[in-house]
Amino acid sequence: MGQLFLIAVRNLITHRRRTLLLGGAILGVTALLVLLLGLLNGIRSTILESATTLMTGHVNVGGFYKVTAGAGAPVVTHYPKILEVIRKEVPELDYVTQRGRGWAKVVSDTGSLQSGVGGIDILHEPGFRRVIQVKDGSLDALAEPGTILIFDEQAQKLGVRVGDQLTLSAYTVRGVANTVDVRIVAIARNVGLLSSWNTFVPDSTLRGLYQMNDQATGALFLYLKDVKQVPRVQERLRTVLTGAGYSLMDPDPRAFWFKFETVNREGWTGQKLDVTTWEDEISFIQWTVTAITWLSYTLIGILLVIIVVGLMNTMWISIRERTREIGTLRAIGMQRARVLAMFMTEAFTLAVTATLAGAALGVGLCALLNLAHLQAPLALQLFLMRDEVRLLVKPSALLGAIALIAGCTTGIALFPSFLAARMQPVTAMHRVG
Amino acid sequence: MNEPIVSIVDVVKEYQLGSTVVPALRGVSLDVHKGEFISIAGPSGSGKTTLLNLIGCVDVATRGTVRVVGRDTAALSERELTRLRLETIGFIFQSFNLVGVLSVFQNVEFPLLLQGKLRGHERRARVMTLLEQVGLADHARHRPNELSGGQRQRVAVARALVGSPHIVLADEPTANLDSETGERIVDLMKEMNLRDGTTFIFSTHDAKVMAHADAVVKLADGKIVGRDSAGAALAASGSGGH
Repeated sequence: MGQLFLIAVRNLITHRRRTLLLGGAILGVTALLVLLLGLLNGIRSTILESATTLMTGHVNVGGFYKVTAGAGAPVVTHYPKILEVIRKEVPELDYVTQRGRGWAKVVSDTGSLQSGVGGIDILHEPGFRRVIQVKDGSLDALAEPGTILIFDEQAQKLGVRVGDQLTLSAYTVRGVANTVDVRIVAIARNVGLLSSWNTFVPDSTLRGLYQMNDQATGALFLYLKDVKQVPRVQERLRTVLTGAGYSLMDPDPRAFWFKFETVNREGWTGQKLDVTTWEDEISFIQWTVTAITWLSYTLIGILLVIIVVGLMNTMWISIRERTREIGTLRAIGMQRARVLAMFMTEAFTLAVTATLAGAALGVGLCALLNLAHLQAPLALQLFLMRDEVRLLVKPSALLGAIALIAGCTTGIALFPSFLAARMQPVTAMHRVG
Repeated sequence: MNEPIVSIVDVVKEYQLGSTVVPALRGVSLDVHKGEFISIAGPSGSGKTTLLNLIGCVDVATRGTVRVVGRDTAALSERELTRLRLETIGFIFQSFNLVGVLSVFQNVEFPLLLQGKLRGHERRARVMTLLEQVGLADHARHRPNELSGGQRQRVAVARALVGSPHIVLADEPTANLDSETGERIVDLMKEMNLRDGTTFIFSTHDAKVMAHADAVVKLADGKIVGRDSAGAALAASGSGGH
């Protein structure tokens, strides 16, 4: 085997122009693949982190409460009991928070806008601080009742600053109009789509607005130790909550606010729970990730085809040039399998070397781009919920990229190598003349 | 004499060129015994190379029997034929056919690696012994393209002999060499033949080369037209030149 490797390496060196050209192409495609995977994983992980902090848990127990058939409110009553069930039945749980869900008119002295209002307990939401970047004011102050966090874009529309007063106006579950006054304690940097239609107030303030008791909330956000367990936990929760006597809504993979129309059309009243996943809640932006993924894989696919054709062609040339060598080696007693192994070793050596170099280059480029704090285009910011693009190179994706490119480029050498091995020694020698 | 090391009986070899059948050998029979140093002579197209290919198990006869070291080559699988070549036959080619990317040492070592019988230090000793015998021990690390034609052919001789074959086949081994170098190569082959008792079968046009042979098998139009001693063959061909 050592001799075959030696022949492979020396042949690659002897034909260094061809080797550099083909190796360079493999290197380039690998680096590009690593870069694209880094971008995809970065976008995915950013969306996951932002969305699962601001809008959803990994798994959510939410639902609707209806006093009359046509007036559904995103409310979960007697949530501590549900919390007990969750803590008992979900050992995969890392932590759980409860989040009020509301929709209100936000009024300032000079303007107004409609916005979602999230009721949070800032002291028990560690992830919130990682995602929200305060431009002015303080997040800690959001622990005080009667306060509000708004985004930069909203502050400009309303013409307000930290310390100014806003009025929230909404209809309660009973259909009564109510208002509360809140003081702006923090203005956060925009986080994409969310900046347009989300504000955050202390949980108690939201309850006050909707005149709810402290046993009611909007939804329970469950954060798991391993996000891969989401489908299993969702399924189990549906079963145990049904078993515990709760009515559950039919599975509907959409964000909760898309369900108002459906819920209000149905004739039931009282409480119905809805167990959703983070993917359900951000399904309206998931298509962007899917589109980017498909686009990237299509691009990589095209590049791979080019590489594969190039390699196949190079192998043909190499075999043609070395016909006499094949004939000689076969004549002096080299078995077909060894001839095959000889050419495969050459292809494998080139593929692995170029792929590893490409992967190293790709990782380096990702690190450089992260250091440069690449500004995301506005369109991408909407979905990222961040203004910066972060590339994330996962070891599994890196190994996958190396295996894919090295595997494809080596695999494609199999056919010409096989034909070389099938060559009759007398034919090979005769062809040389 | 003992049983022949090569026995060819009524061998016919035909090639298909499109719709035309071209006969290369037409009913050839030949016995070669262990330790013989035989030359196959004849004009171009007489079937010398085809005969060597059949003896060397790199080709199979259309009809007839070819037995090498007692084995009927028609009855062997591709794998067995390859193994037979590896264990039994050494090849010397007209164009040397060395592996360009390997050194002299590695070229000579290659058949031993394929055989897989000797350990590293044993292989090294065997290769160096052969290189010393062909006078190239000092060139062990050189690449073939750094050697003269004569030196390359000596490497090929060493490679052919390194696996201790029963038979060495040489297809016009001196054709690409000047006459002086060619004679030295044949002298070297003869020396190996006398010392180790290895059977040599080589084809040539060259009467000077033929002169070294124990016997000359003459081929014409795919048939054996005579088997003479070297002296008789030389006399018949008018001594000296081609």
